[in-house]
Amino acid sequence: MNQQRQPDEMPQTQAPDPGRRQFITYLLGFSVVATVVGVATPIAGYLWPPIRSSSDTGGRVPVGTTTEIPVGHGEVVAVDDKPVVVVNTEQGGIKAYSAICTHLGCISKWDPQRQVILCPCHDGRFNPVNGAVISGPPPTPLPAYQVSVEGDTIFVSDSQA
Amino acid sequence: MEAQDSRSRRIWNWFEVRYRVGTVANAMVHVKIPRSARTFYFGGITMFFFMVQVITGVLLVIYYQPTPDAAYGSILFIMNEVSFGWLIRSVHSWSANLMILFCVLHLLRVFFQGAYKRPREVTWGVGFALLALTLLFGFTGYLLPWDQRAYWATTVGTEIAGALPIVGSALDLLLRGGSDITARTLSRFFGVHVLVLPLSVLLFLVLHLTMVHQQGLADPKRENVNDETLPPGDFNPGSPESKRQLLPFFPNYILDEIIAWYIMLAALIVLASLFPAGLEEAANPLSTPAHTKPEWYFLFLYQGLKVIPRIVGVTLPIVAAVVLLFLPFLDRNPYIAARRRPIAIGLGVISLVGIISFTIWGRFS
Repeated sequence: MNQQRQPDEMPQTQAPDPGRRQFITYLLGFSVVATVVGVATPIAGYLWPPIRSSSDTGGRVPVGTTTEIPVGHGEVVAVDDKPVVVVNTEQGGIKAYSAICTHLGCISKWDPQRQVILCPCHDGRFNPVNGAVISGPPPTPLPAYQVSVEGDTIFVSDSQA
Repeated sequence: MEAQDSRSRRIWNWFEVRYRVGTVANAMVHVKIPRSARTFYFGGITMFFFMVQVITGVLLVIYYQPTPDAAYGSILFIMNEVSFGWLIRSVHSWSANLMILFCVLHLLRVFFQGAYKRPREVTWGVGFALLALTLLFGFTGYLLPWDQRAYWATTVGTEIAGALPIVGSALDLLLRGGSDITARTLSRFFGVHVLVLPLSVLLFLVLHLTMVHQQGLADPKRENVNDETLPPGDFNPGSPESKRQLLPFFPNYILDEIIAWYIMLAALIVLASLFPAGLEEAANPLSTPAHTKPEWYFLFLYQGLKVIPRIVGVTLPIVAAVVLLFLPFLDRNPYIAARRRPIAIGLGVISLVGIISFTIWGRFS
């Protein structure tokens, strides 16, 4: 208990000079700001979602075989937790695109009747040969993934082409 | 400076006119405390650690996943991937231990100063409940990382509860949510740890602080319980008599308390950085590691159970806890000074030495 800290009781004649008082005020303000920043920085850093390294799976992910996805068929598969539509057409061969529709993010799928990649939300249609928009509201083509076939196994690389 | 002052004054006045904040602030902080009171700030420091626990706990819950399959991995994720995750978890762990330590120190201070005596019997009881809740916090939180230490310490801990006479097996079943420690145990410990206990502590803490506020701090220099030298509200703040014996709570006491909090914050950061919270292998219910021991604050119980018959080793601490809870009603001695309370002080010292010896024995056995 410090018995000196009683500003109310201090006689007016001994009031500290304003420069010293202001210095103390600044010091106090600095301490408060330093505390707030020191505590808030790790909290903000902690809340910011950490970025997962994409090289976890080593590049290529097997997604099926040519017998599972023959010509005229398509399949939505997960590559590194992201949806990818793998299609096999006569004109374009085996291709893979991000299945996330470029319009509003619904998951597109293979439409075997019309032989296009179809987004069910707003009837956006994409060309299975190059991912280009055929009709509907999507503003841009579906981003393509790199595909390779070894034997009859289809691999999709986990980064976009 | 002048402009700043008038701006903050204007903001204050804006609220004052509408909500009469001055009256509330006055009633809350402008109280007086006995000049001779020595609290060592233990209670306030305990509350500071509780606040740290609330903040770091909320942060941990953001990434923690309370299932046996995911819990261990989510702790690894917090420690290795999340920015400052190791710091937040280590501070939570250290702050938990220090909160228990300072809660006990606060209890000892109140005991040896005779501050639990009339008229503060219920304040003591509420404080006892806060200590019990704090220990339960430690017990339930210990399981959550779902590593070998967590799993087997909880196995031993619930076994101890199961050794209780009559209600033992039922209590064991209730704690575990089944006959073994499984996903159900984890989710009920998690629920109790993050919902039930924080709300209970908050309730009891508000009660505790209100009671302390209403009665003021006990003066350790008063002769006996009938000699409350300065009953609250019955003094003239301006009189020279009260100035000699009383000290304003704000800013004098508050300033010292905040300095103590800063020192504790620094200690927390240093401890968390030099000795970060560890993690053993993931829990394996089929393999008990060697030397399974509970945390330090349960070591005396653990050692007691090893060397004295099980029924005594479990019953004795319960009897002691009941005696402690009702201490203000059992201890009829009206005197405050330690030398006039030989029985209470003697029993207190013997218990303390016993608990410390058993803790050290348990640590090195």
